[in-house]
Amino acid sequence: MSSFIHRLVGGFASVGLPGNMTLFHFGNCFALAYFPYFITYKCSGLSEYNAFWRCVQAGATYLFVQLCKMLFLATFFPTWEGGAGVYDFVGEFMKATVDLADLLGLHLVMSRNAGKGEYKIMVAAMGWATAELVMSRCIPLWVGARGIEFDWKYIQMSFDSNISLVHYIAMAAVVWMFTRYDLPKSFRLPVTVLLGLCVYKAFLMELFVHVFLLGSWTALLVKAVLTGSISLCSLFLFVTLVHSN
Amino acid sequence: MFEEASEVFDNMFKSSFPLTFIVFIPAVLILVSPLPAEAAHEFTVYRMQQYDLQGQPYGTRNAILNTEARTVEAEVLSRRCVIMRLVDFSYERYQKALRQSAGAVVIILPKNMSTMPQDIVQFMELEPEMLATETIVPVYFALEDDELLSIYTQTLTSSSSQGSSSAAEVLIHTATANGFQMVTSGAQSKAVSDWAITSLEGRLAGTGGEDLPTIVLVAHYDSFGVAPWLSYGADSNGSGVSMLLELARLFSRLYTYKRTHAGYNLLFFVSGGGKFNYQGTKRWLEDNLDHTDSSLLQDNVAFVLCLDTLGNGDSLHLHVSKPPKEGTAQYALLKELETVASNQYPEVKFSMVHKKINLADDTLAWEHERFGIRRLPAFTLSHLNSHREVQRSSIMDVRPHVDLRKLSRNTKLIAESLARVIYNLTEKGAPGDLQIFTEQMMQEEQLSSVVDWLTAQPRAAQLVDKDSSVVSTLEYHLGRYLKDVRRHYVKADKRDPEFVFYDQLKQTMNAYRVKPAIFDLLLAFCIAAYLGVIYLSIQKVVERLYAKSP
Repeated sequence: MSSFIHRLVGGFASVGLPGNMTLFHFGNCFALAYFPYFITYKCSGLSEYNAFWRCVQAGATYLFVQLCKMLFLATFFPTWEGGAGVYDFVGEFMKATVDLADLLGLHLVMSRNAGKGEYKIMVAAMGWATAELVMSRCIPLWVGARGIEFDWKYIQMSFDSNISLVHYIAMAAVVWMFTRYDLPKSFRLPVTVLLGLCVYKAFLMELFVHVFLLGSWTALLVKAVLTGSISLCSLFLFVTLVHSN
Repeated sequence: MFEEASEVFDNMFKSSFPLTFIVFIPAVLILVSPLPAEAAHEFTVYRMQQYDLQGQPYGTRNAILNTEARTVEAEVLSRRCVIMRLVDFSYERYQKALRQSAGAVVIILPKNMSTMPQDIVQFMELEPEMLATETIVPVYFALEDDELLSIYTQTLTSSSSQGSSSAAEVLIHTATANGFQMVTSGAQSKAVSDWAITSLEGRLAGTGGEDLPTIVLVAHYDSFGVAPWLSYGADSNGSGVSMLLELARLFSRLYTYKRTHAGYNLLFFVSGGGKFNYQGTKRWLEDNLDHTDSSLLQDNVAFVLCLDTLGNGDSLHLHVSKPPKEGTAQYALLKELETVASNQYPEVKFSMVHKKINLADDTLAWEHERFGIRRLPAFTLSHLNSHREVQRSSIMDVRPHVDLRKLSRNTKLIAESLARVIYNLTEKGAPGDLQIFTEQMMQEEQLSSVVDWLTAQPRAAQLVDKDSSVVSTLEYHLGRYLKDVRRHYVKADKRDPEFVFYDQLKQTMNAYRVKPAIFDLLLAFCIAAYLGVIYLSIQKVVERLYAKSP
């Protein structure tokens, strides 16, 4: 039996990778990236509320906010003349501060939607994250994962999109909590801290990678842990807030 | 969800037609876009020779390759690209790859080829054998660098572990190891039409009347090796060409002064296509003897001296097809060479080698045989004993193969002997150790720089066309010392070509990292499992959230 398996596996292993298999790899990466979004959409019950058009509107807001951010960065942050290889901490920090616009965008989307807290959060987060998926990951995947050359970075990119989904849900929840008028005093501080972490998460990640010289898989793991912890905290705060009302 | 999506798209279509274009045209363009070429490693490869000589094909016939890489240790070699390093190269392994119908062979040459003399000698001997067998698969040579070496070691580990481990190990191996797909970028090789082999001639006219005897000095400038782009031909025949230029310089200096202007015409010929059965010389002779009414070659030719591979060694051989008869100028030169060698350069062993012209052979042995066929007295001077020596046609013949002191010494020896013949010094009683050319006249730096320049680029006949810098620089050099410098072109006959060259001799090869097919299946399986876990966990979370809320 084992020799049969051995021969089967060996036979497969010795077959080269023909051109159409690279489409298979693209399919793998695309499924890995997109299916969690699909599952989240289905399971969160958004489909019952006809939320598709609202998600598309949230996506359009995402595009608009990114455009504004890019214009702002291009105008006020010209390329630094700093030495090559020197990581410009202050410059990167300032650039990360511009990401506050994301929070404003999420708030804008949520304020335009009427409904329960969870509905608003989920609609905003789904639309935002899907727009980011389409804009920043679909095209590199399509162009790169179909090529002959294999690279682990496409799988990593797909994992990253999953992590982004969780991140945006947490971010939307924190923004919603921040803007509640009935937020208890004791919650103010943790919510603000979480808000800051959400905005500067990308900056922190770059810092870690630069200082500790992390490999790509380790960086992904650190990112997942960081996002997981932020989202667990925000979930905990959110559930406590909802139940206390 | 799909109903809502279709609703949205319906609205889009109905409301604004241009909007749909803006959305869909870029999408369509992206979908049909060609794939980018992003390789793990891109490097230059040099193809083995491909040519037809007198209708007989030699070398490799193919240029394109798009196959997976393996090393010789692997079990299955058919339709794969076999990578070998020079240190591991042997004729048996090469034959083994060809017998198992490999898709291609790539031989990796070390950067510093002179560090392993044993391998070099062994490889030099294998070069003619590799060329003699006509191979359908493309054979490429690549120069080693770190990335290529790492590709080789990775391929080696994966090739040698095939078929020897358990199923679990094979599974893990397919997931982690990299296979490499080697792809060349060029097209299939085809015959080059209308290739002109260029030769150059120049002369120094003698003084003292009409119908002077002519001495012809010949050297072929092209090089040969198993790969045209890697044949630098330092000793064979860069040494001969540099010696010819030096002799041209020396005798043109002598001929400028009336007192030293001799009664011999000196005709210098730098021939092309020498390694392909001396095509340049053959056509030049035909043109001068058959197609023109008057030419220096038709009248009084004292002798023709061909210079071939004189940059090393302590022996000099004068190859003749007929031993010279006493009283001829040929005999005089033979005697002068003996005299000068024994008196002034005792370390040089001079000898005459007699070899009859064998017209039944595929190719002629030495260049003088072309002249011999046309009944002109000719000989070739070389430090090699036999024309079959592998040093004459090897890619390992690079600049370190030429010993400048020995080349300079040989040049002096020949210059002295020629001077003694031209000025008839032995009859006039000059002693054997009289030195005509003083130390200041011989310029070793010039010799050295000419050799350096010649060996700086490959000079295979397929690569030097009439616009090449090699030809124009040689023309300029000859023009500095000689008069009537002319070019001479040889093109192959249309109906029955003596030589046919093929292109695509240098390619860019890309090595793409690929994973075997089972890897994608494994990955799909893992992703499906991961998605299943996600689905279950999300459902659980949502259930608990909704269970808690009132």
